[in-house]
Amino acid sequence: MKIAMIGWEFPPLVSGGLGTHCYELTKHLSEKGVIIDFYMPKIGYEVADSGANIVPVDFTPITPYAYPKREDFFQKVISYNEKCASMVAKGNYDVIHCHDWLTVIAGIKLKKTLHKPFVLTVHSTEYDRTANLFPWDRVVDIEKAGILHADRIITVSKRMKAQLVDRYDADERKIHVVYNAIDPKRFTGVKMKKPKERIVLYFGRLTVQKGPDFFLKAAKKVLEFENNVRFVVAGTGEMLTQLIDLTVKLGIQDKVFFTGYVSDEDLPKLYAIADVFVLPSVSEPFGIAPLEAMASGIPVIISKTTGVGEVVRNCLLVDFWDTNEMANKIIAVLRYEALDRTLREREKMEIMDKGFSWGNAAEETIKVYRGLL
Amino acid sequence: MKLCFYFQVHQPMRLNKLSILDFCKNGDLKQMYFNERKNREILLRVAEKCYLPTNRLMIGLINKYDIKFALSLSGVFIEQCQEYAPAVLDSFNALAETGNVEFIDETYYHSLASLHKDKNEFIEQIKEHAKIIKRLFNQKPTAFRNTELIYSNEIAGVAESLGYKTILAEGINLGWRSPNYVYRPRGCSKIKLLLRNYMLSDDVSFRFSAHAWSGYPLTADKYASWLSHCTGDVINIFMDYETFGEHQWKETGIFEFLRHLPAEIKKYNLEFATPEEIEMEPAGEYDAPNVTSWADLERDTSAWLGNDMQKSCFNEMEKLGALIKQKNDKKLLRIWRLLQTTDHIYYISTKKMGDEEVHKYFAEHQSPYEAFINYMNIIQHLKGLL
Repeated sequence: MKIAMIGWEFPPLVSGGLGTHCYELTKHLSEKGVIIDFYMPKIGYEVADSGANIVPVDFTPITPYAYPKREDFFQKVISYNEKCASMVAKGNYDVIHCHDWLTVIAGIKLKKTLHKPFVLTVHSTEYDRTANLFPWDRVVDIEKAGILHADRIITVSKRMKAQLVDRYDADERKIHVVYNAIDPKRFTGVKMKKPKERIVLYFGRLTVQKGPDFFLKAAKKVLEFENNVRFVVAGTGEMLTQLIDLTVKLGIQDKVFFTGYVSDEDLPKLYAIADVFVLPSVSEPFGIAPLEAMASGIPVIISKTTGVGEVVRNCLLVDFWDTNEMANKIIAVLRYEALDRTLREREKMEIMDKGFSWGNAAEETIKVYRGLL
Repeated sequence: MKLCFYFQVHQPMRLNKLSILDFCKNGDLKQMYFNERKNREILLRVAEKCYLPTNRLMIGLINKYDIKFALSLSGVFIEQCQEYAPAVLDSFNALAETGNVEFIDETYYHSLASLHKDKNEFIEQIKEHAKIIKRLFNQKPTAFRNTELIYSNEIAGVAESLGYKTILAEGINLGWRSPNYVYRPRGCSKIKLLLRNYMLSDDVSFRFSAHAWSGYPLTADKYASWLSHCTGDVINIFMDYETFGEHQWKETGIFEFLRHLPAEIKKYNLEFATPEEIEMEPAGEYDAPNVTSWADLERDTSAWLGNDMQKSCFNEMEKLGALIKQKNDKKLLRIWRLLQTTDHIYYISTKKMGDEEVHKYFAEHQSPYEAFINYMNIIQHLKGLL
């Protein structure tokens, strides 16, 4: 089986779950004997070896987040897709597999010209990325076209599947849910000296989609009841300055620490020193970080609008906007030892039991391919 | 052979949501801690679906077939009836007046007080229950059943010392012996023990509408014939009264089953009797060094004390007792007792497998963690007032 996979980013430099997903997926597909040519923008350094054959497309990579003029960005995406399509057309593939709107145009074009099956994985939609606030029609239109033309659609949660059916009129029968996964080994047995203060951790891109501002508002409320706490905001993103301003406005600047970019190496250490992990995403198709935090054995609080909440039970749920309840739950975890202990024990067990492995995700993906051959 | 039916009637006073962020607020504790709107809503719903139609049916069956049975109503249930649905109490009173219904004592607050190290609280709650049964139904109970049939040699000893003639328990750990005889609790000299025949009881209360069960559909004639094939002196069929119309909905045919059961039973050599009327001498001794109950598959205390969160709530509550009694404040004492109802701690159970469905049914909270946070918040708030 030979697959042309069209992507956007690949480790070590990733801005979101998509890059990690592509790396892990191609790695495990390759291990299972699937031959993959992975098309992505040419970058000036070596990317991680996943076993897939990386095909650099002559195109300067750009980050979709924090691009000054979105019209320019849009044009770049189109020209990237055109270049990809012409390169892929020279090869002989069984399936064309694209990821998100960034690569949809190439997928549609190849399906039409080569008459090859087209698989589209939807990691997030324009509505998710903009927290439903200001979705851009032109991106939504591309997503719609991709969802219409794809022979099979893979979503990372049932929640996402429902969104595609509701908002994009997707044909439910061609959607397959394949959950994201983690490598629990990376997060277990990490020993770190615990700081004197209790640590409440946010880790994710600093973007409106993830709700880091709600995290800070909850922090303010927690601090009215608990003094010996530090709030760590880990990650980068376009909201950084806005968030720093917010801490000053709330008067909690001495209690909040911004880490900036967190490397793959540092991440498990960060989880290891944290006492509770909070992800108040406004709209999160899956949410790998909460799974990692659970594997690390720290209590996890996620918004009800986080996809991973549909598969795990041993975490705490809140409405992303309900910063009072978020604070209540953060304090409860910090104060009630029995809660903390029970969550730690049971979440680790759950992660082991449910086996969120990339091997399983690859297996499910192969089933989708086979259904098309 | 005697046939002893006993039904438990209970509704907890469900809790309000109390956030740690609300700790500084003041107000009436009962209004703060308990969700009056929800309690009224549920009581009225269950009254409509279960209590009123079942009581009506039972009166009819008493008049027509002279059936007899035993009931126990928790104090917290009675209080809620007084407040929201006096007609329900009237209908229980009508049952009492027939002379065919024996009222049994339990802990007023449907609590785990029997598991406290100091048994005085347990005893006070039993006495409070006896008082209200006397006042409302003019009966002085001679039989005792502890919350959720929680039982041990020690608990039997307490019941005996309070003068009860009979105590009820789950019919397990019997080895080769049958629950269909009267036993004597180890360490006791007078009190008689009636053991629940859990197979035949659960056939009605749990399995009645289970399509996958080989006994389905359970009809009155089939059930009566099963009863008639038993050997022994007395078959004890104990279950929640809410089996009729609430746990088993009307649509399952549970009321039709009940309506036809007495006529079918009368076809055999089976005689309705209440605990007081079971006069046989004990066939042997029953030893319960460890605590048993009728809850879940484990039939022990793990439904309430199965995980660390539950244990920490229980321990906190027990510790609060001493502090509250020192204060000598009746209002606080009452609130503390209302908080002891087992349902609050039952919602925190994290047990899985077959029993999860049962837990889901009863649990009003979304997850055991939510239930814990809320219950513990309330306990801590109360503690803050001492």
